[in-house]
Amino acid sequence: MPEQPILEPTAPIIEMRHISKAFGAVRALSDVDLRLHPGEIMGLVGDNSAGKSTLMKILTGAYTRDSGDVLVSGAQTHFKSPHESRAAGIEMIYQDFALCGNMDVGQNIFLGRWPRKGLFVDRKAMYREADVVLKRLKVDVNSVYQRVESLSGGRQQSVAIARAISFDPRVVILDEPTANLSVMATERLLETMLELKKHNVAQIIISHRLQDIFAVGDRVMVLKRGENVGERYIKNTTEQEVLEIIVSGRREKVA
Amino acid sequence: MSVSAQLRVDRLPAQLVGGWELGLLVLMAILFVGGALINPAFFLSGDAFHAILRDTARYAVVAVGMTFVIVNKDLDLSVGSTNGLVGVAFSILFAPQFNDWGPISATIFCLLLGITIGLINGVLVTILKVPSFIATLTMLLIGRGIILGLTGGRSIGYAVKAREHGWFFHLGETNILGFNNQIPIALLIVIVGAFVLAKTRWGYETFATGGNEQAAAYAGIPTRWVRIRAYLLSSICATIAGLMAVTQDKGVTAQAGLSSELIVIAAVIIGGASILGGRGRVIGACLGAMLTVVIDKVLREGWPTTRIVQIDGQDFEVAAIAQLPVGAVPALLGALLLLAVLIEPYVLRRRLIGRLWAWLRGKEPPLIIEATGIAIEGVQTKGTMASDKALSARGLGKFLARRDALAIALTIVLWLIGLWLRPDYWWNLQNSFAILLNYTELALLAIGLTYVIACGDIDLSVGAVLALAGAATAFAMKVMGYDPWTAVLIGLLAGMAAGFVNALITVGFNLPAFIATLGMFYIARGLAAWIVAGKQLTGFPESFNLLGRKIANVLDHFGIDVGSGTLRAVSEAVSIQTLWMILIAIIAGIILGYTPFGQMIYATGGNRRAADYAGINTRRVRFISLMFSALCATMAGIIYTAFFRSFNPTAGQFRELDAIAAVIIGGGSIFGGYGTMIGALAGAAVITLIRALLQLNIILPGGGSFVMPQHWVNVFTGLILIVAVLIDIWLRQANILAGLRLARFIRLKSEPEHA
Repeated sequence: MPEQPILEPTAPIIEMRHISKAFGAVRALSDVDLRLHPGEIMGLVGDNSAGKSTLMKILTGAYTRDSGDVLVSGAQTHFKSPHESRAAGIEMIYQDFALCGNMDVGQNIFLGRWPRKGLFVDRKAMYREADVVLKRLKVDVNSVYQRVESLSGGRQQSVAIARAISFDPRVVILDEPTANLSVMATERLLETMLELKKHNVAQIIISHRLQDIFAVGDRVMVLKRGENVGERYIKNTTEQEVLEIIVSGRREKVA
Repeated sequence: MSVSAQLRVDRLPAQLVGGWELGLLVLMAILFVGGALINPAFFLSGDAFHAILRDTARYAVVAVGMTFVIVNKDLDLSVGSTNGLVGVAFSILFAPQFNDWGPISATIFCLLLGITIGLINGVLVTILKVPSFIATLTMLLIGRGIILGLTGGRSIGYAVKAREHGWFFHLGETNILGFNNQIPIALLIVIVGAFVLAKTRWGYETFATGGNEQAAAYAGIPTRWVRIRAYLLSSICATIAGLMAVTQDKGVTAQAGLSSELIVIAAVIIGGASILGGRGRVIGACLGAMLTVVIDKVLREGWPTTRIVQIDGQDFEVAAIAQLPVGAVPALLGALLLLAVLIEPYVLRRRLIGRLWAWLRGKEPPLIIEATGIAIEGVQTKGTMASDKALSARGLGKFLARRDALAIALTIVLWLIGLWLRPDYWWNLQNSFAILLNYTELALLAIGLTYVIACGDIDLSVGAVLALAGAATAFAMKVMGYDPWTAVLIGLLAGMAAGFVNALITVGFNLPAFIATLGMFYIARGLAAWIVAGKQLTGFPESFNLLGRKIANVLDHFGIDVGSGTLRAVSEAVSIQTLWMILIAIIAGIILGYTPFGQMIYATGGNRRAADYAGINTRRVRFISLMFSALCATMAGIIYTAFFRSFNPTAGQFRELDAIAAVIIGGGSIFGGYGTMIGALAGAAVITLIRALLQLNIILPGGGSFVMPQHWVNVFTGLILIVAVLIDIWLRQANILAGLRLARFIRLKSEPEHA
């Protein structure tokens, strides 16, 4: 991990203000705010088409916003692609992991930025570094030489996370990370998330499974039809209350 | 959502015909009026019009079946061969000089033959999971090989016997109402097909399967059967069309149905079907067939013009027929196909015409429902899960776990078989030299294809690009009188232009590589034939021919003497092109295996979306790979011309299949992400050795000898490609052997409990 910028505990690393986005005549997001602090795990929940993915895609630069501000460490940003947000320390882990099954673990962790020695790929350095990342994350992958398509879903997930971590991100967004995982693999993923939290990485987890969010999260934010309808600290709320907000929440302004 | 609010429920969407069909009719009417003004003799004569309708009838019938296949997101390239094969089979059975069957029994046999071909196609594509263009292209070439093998290239006629069965052959003739009976037959089939596709559950199942096969399967639609059914329909339609042609001609030629698949596919696509599946209408395909047949007819039969001829300083107007040379027709039809595949995704799906119309009237343009996003994306099938055997294996197991193990082992075994069959001849210098030469051409093509296939694309045009480059070089030297260097440069430019079109359609327009390179398959070979038509292209400068000579010849040319030892022997067996190929292979192999660019190729082929997310410019990678493949084919073409000291338009024919088979046998995956240079070279060696063995003059124990004719050798290579793809899909990727072992293990374990 590089040295984290010294921040006030209250200074948010991500601040999204008054975000609005429309697709043609369809309003996907209207006036949504989001704040995330270093080392915080925030759950983002809501029904389908509530705007969760759209909000995250605006954060990573996959979509451009119609209006509103996105601040990273207090600085205005206008990401035009996920590559730009990656440079700012924001990583997204996709639901289907976005890995190349035909390549091995090491090659996947360094996908697209394989270390090189002269003209050639520096394979020794690549596998060594990959091993270091995997060890740091305490993830359970037999060998960096193993092809990803021969791994189970949970282990593929670990590789995807290891890949994200290898960029030394300050923010990690997990899109439905437990959707394709077994119970055991989910347990391991949640442990990994807590491990990341220790490294002061802020995380946003989009999930339909409230129990996962309640297991590791600090805060939960509910979107409904493109509006922010509720925000609660996990320690002050219950799954029941969050469910009620998802189903019948009305817009409220959180101080 | 506001989108659904705008839909009116009182008017159901059109199913049988739509605006596009209307547009096609208007276009044809304009063409007809234009043609009648320019050339009334042709367009206003009832005979010409009738002939167009009659020929359209057969293509329209095939187009009905093809529409089902294309809506299913499949492709059937074998219809032309099926069409011809049915004609040949009927003729051989019916003709008195052969089997002398009756028309009914011959027809029943042909229908069974058609059903068999459709079933083979369907089973290969669905149950055995071979990509449709590979399976049906192989069927095309196997079919052509069998046609040539059966007819020996000759025509079969039986006009006399046909008169005894007038009632049957009347089906292909003009009836008392004054029009050909084929027209009502085709109309009937088109109407039935249109209703089945648009109005019945069979049709709805087809659209669902083509739109999203997985979703359709989850919904309980038997998608495999739906796809097999479409292949059956397509083959049966091709069979009917073949029989219609036989009843009209009372005979068959070895060229029957040749490249008619091009016309039919172009027709269906022009008719508004999407090569990406899920869209298409039979009536549109039928109108597309008519338009394509008109274009084909005008191109093929020419149009009357007047030429000014100067005699003794005076101008005379002479009536003549402006006719395009041979080769021009497939070239232009191939170009038409490439333009047509852009229609559905870029014109129809974006509602360009409707928006233009609204814009002209100053109205609000209609909404584009799905212009952006991933809708326009070719097929990219992910390889199946494979266990990583290489990690745990040791020694021999480690070798066998390599994806190229099969090719390397086969190379050795095949060479030993050759030695065993002909110990007197196999090991001598001339044979080795001949094998090495054949090997060089194939290996060059395979080197380029390895890049393309590892990227998850395909290049079906390598053989045709080889011919185009060779033709351009020969033409530049002999007809345009350029020196060898300039001619080679022109050849390179011609080949690279073909590669650029491939890459542009595939990468720039986001269409599947197989359709782009299929178009180029016809365009490049057509252009090659067009360029060299009627010209004697031989007698190049010897300095050019040296590109295709043995080292010994080159040494002699420059007056260098190496004595008569081993060095001389080696220089007799090794030629310039072999050295050149090895150089290219080493460079390409190092780039693929050890540089970041090589890794980018594997990442692109493995999971293009993941590679995109990782910041790899996959479009650039695919573009470069397709260009590189064309470059390798171009070099092979120039070398071909130098080696033969002349150019023949059949250069490189069937080579695309050999090269694809070489890459797949060598460990490449037809789904992308795999393939190594060593594997491709070994695979090319396997194909070369198989061809050499099949063509070996085998001395029989009785003292006679046997050589397999070339047509049948081509049939065999087609079979080899299919077997190679099946081995890749089922042994390397699905690892069916391990599955069987596991199943046996479980059975063995559970049996005692039963006992």
